[in-house]
Amino acid sequence: MSLPAHISLILDLTPVPWAALSRASPPLALRSFLAQALVFLHAHLALRNENSVSVFGALPGRSVGLYPPVSRGSRDRGAEEGADENTFHVFQQVDEGLMRRVEEEVAGLEEVEEDAPPALVGALTKSLCYINRLANPPPPLNPTDAPPPAPHARIVLFSVSPDASVAYIPFMNCIFSAQKLKVPIDVCKIDDSEVIFLHQASDLTGGAFVHVDQREALLQYLSMCFLSETETRKTLAVPTQDKVDFRAACFCHKEIVDIGYVCSVCLSIFCKPVAQCSTCHTNFSPDTLVRFGGVGMNGHGASNGTTA
Amino acid sequence: MPPRRDADFIVTDESDPEEDILDEDYVVSRAARARKGKGKEKELAGESRKAQEQAYAWEASYKRSWDTVQEDEAGSLQAAVQDLVARSKRRRLLGGNAPIRRTIIRHMMLLMDLSTAMLDRDMRPSRFDLTLSYAREFVSEWFDQNPLGQMGVVGMRNGVGERIGEISGNPQEVQKCFAEKAKLEPAGEPSLQNSIEMARASMSHLPTHSSREILIIFGSLTTVDPGNIHDTVDACVRDQIRISIVSLSAEMKICRDMCERTGGVFGVALNEGHYKDLLFELVPPPAEKSSVSRLAAQAAANESELMQMGFPTRLPITSPPSLCVCHSRLRSEGYICPRCNSKVCDVPTDCDICGLMIVSSPHLARSYHHLFPAPAYRAVTELDGSEAPTCHGCSLPFSTATRDRNVVSEEGMSPFGRYRCPKCKHDFDAECDLFVHDVLHVCPGCG
Ligand SMILES: [Zn+2]
Ligand SMILES: [Zn+2]
Ligand SMILES: [Zn+2]
Ligand SMILES: [Zn+2]
Ligand SMILES: [Zn+2]
Ligand SMILES: [Zn+2]
Repeated sequence: MSLPAHISLILDLTPVPWAALSRASPPLALRSFLAQALVFLHAHLALRNENSVSVFGALPGRSVGLYPPVSRGSRDRGAEEGADENTFHVFQQVDEGLMRRVEEEVAGLEEVEEDAPPALVGALTKSLCYINRLANPPPPLNPTDAPPPAPHARIVLFSVSPDASVAYIPFMNCIFSAQKLKVPIDVCKIDDSEVIFLHQASDLTGGAFVHVDQREALLQYLSMCFLSETETRKTLAVPTQDKVDFRAACFCHKEIVDIGYVCSVCLSIFCKPVAQCSTCHTNFSPDTLVRFGGVGMNGHGASNGTTA
Repeated sequence: MPPRRDADFIVTDESDPEEDILDEDYVVSRAARARKGKGKEKELAGESRKAQEQAYAWEASYKRSWDTVQEDEAGSLQAAVQDLVARSKRRRLLGGNAPIRRTIIRHMMLLMDLSTAMLDRDMRPSRFDLTLSYAREFVSEWFDQNPLGQMGVVGMRNGVGERIGEISGNPQEVQKCFAEKAKLEPAGEPSLQNSIEMARASMSHLPTHSSREILIIFGSLTTVDPGNIHDTVDACVRDQIRISIVSLSAEMKICRDMCERTGGVFGVALNEGHYKDLLFELVPPPAEKSSVSRLAAQAAANESELMQMGFPTRLPITSPPSLCVCHSRLRSEGYICPRCNSKVCDVPTDCDICGLMIVSSPHLARSYHHLFPAPAYRAVTELDGSEAPTCHGCSLPFSTATRDRNVVSEEGMSPFGRYRCPKCKHDFDAECDLFVHDVLHVCPGCG
């Protein structure tokens, strides 16, 4: 029998793009987005009793775990309050827990400055740590009990900001860790900004990449593209992006480059020829600089001279 | 338990004709061998030198784990074993605080002993089978951590070196070398000199900014060489080739010397697990040698270069077919050179049109965690009551049970199972501590 599935949702909760999205046409307010995401999670939980979810939020400058609830106390309280006999209790837990936490976090945002990029890396690392714990559960106290099977986990990432601002190296480390854990990263791009690294993330981990063109049909996208589990996907044509851009960010200005200058010792990438590597402090031979028309040598700046 | 570790056994195992082949200088450096009556004057020198030298690899601090295990009140070993495992993991983490300069573009020749000594069954199922399966794992792990590296394979049997796999940057291709077991059937005697010379020749053309390494998996206690092996070692030192040896039987003087002179690592495997550990210690990129003379370091610095590289765009399978510039074949997929927009089949490669080195950036990014490691977490030994109730990584609550304090403090373990990031001051549990430093390389609090 196949294993249960775990979905780890990562929500980009940056207020500025969400405010823009709620005014765009067609509009998509954060509240309506959350409602649709919840329906998606319900569908996932309803597929199988053992299925589970976790939700992490990326806010400007920090990341938070939204679900499962942090302390046991809050979960008990949720169970006490909501004595709705007509609702599947897991749904209710997710609904109440998640909505309350998102509201808390977003309300708490107003005081802090909102310009910082979303802490996508923080949310991803937390999600990966959580998945790692699911994959390696603590040994049972009674050694005769077989440990529960580790679920197939996948990450679904909702992005509303451009990713050029993401810290390149930590983000790539997250991708490689997901690869090692065999966790596909599905990317759902809601706005229209450019996301090179998210392309690479879904491509390298074998996840789906969907750009939501028609926002009024978000739920349709979610259930058609992201609901199928890892095993089922082998027989489905899951949408991926057509072109993958393998550009990198330079270490000096965090700008995206297609031709870079790379230190042979540590592989740091620079957008212009430099005399010394800022990472490992290697001095490069003057010949190399001349060859690339290096800065400070003859003042021509960056060269694109062909060598052929 | 394995009889081969017994000194007398090894001596009796060595037949006399073989001994004649050995050069006197690199007779196995064991006192037991000298006792055989050969080379009386050598015996004295050997004994006194032994006193100065460090202990033999197999005598080094190897604590038998069963001596330290204690049952808990319920008479169960479970907790004790868990603790032991956590400790050994933690020790490995503490050791990994590496310097920043590491050789990232690596070239390695894997020299595999295929002599009859490999048929020995002191390791299960046999040295040969175990070596093949470890080699496969080693190759995949090595390429995972050294994505720009290249590896070749040479076999040692019947007194010659045999080229099994050409030097290649494709892990699948190197793995293929170990696929056909029948082709690698052990036979005859190994020759260190012949094989090292072969490996040296295949690395002679390499650029200076890449490392040249030879890893020898050696099961035999003898070698048949056509000439003086010390000349070969000299040549390796000159060519800056680093030789590391994992021996499966016992320490040989020439092997240790070879590794020490070239800056490599020498180890004798005690059992299957130790064998794997020794092998996998050679996976992470070596720290650049600082012990070498300043002049050599300066020369190396002059040779480090800035390389111009292009990061391509990959075309999907659904794109209209077009001719590639490398094979002139009509295909849909391919990578577009960012400088001249020509299409090549595979990366990394040099563009056939404009000569630009084309690599995909994730290839480079794989090695960055060596440059920017996550800060090592410190064990929390005192609580002041203001700690977060849950791990900052996995959000699971910390266990409230404390472990025995005085046992714990010496090992850098936290009695509360809390490890704190020195930068972001968040607490993590042992499991996440391990995951962050072994796999993730990003602190969830700092990232
Ligand atoms: Zn730059
Ligand atoms: Zn550098
Ligand atoms: Zn081609
Ligand atoms: Zn080109
Ligand atoms: Zn944790
Ligand atoms: Zn930290």
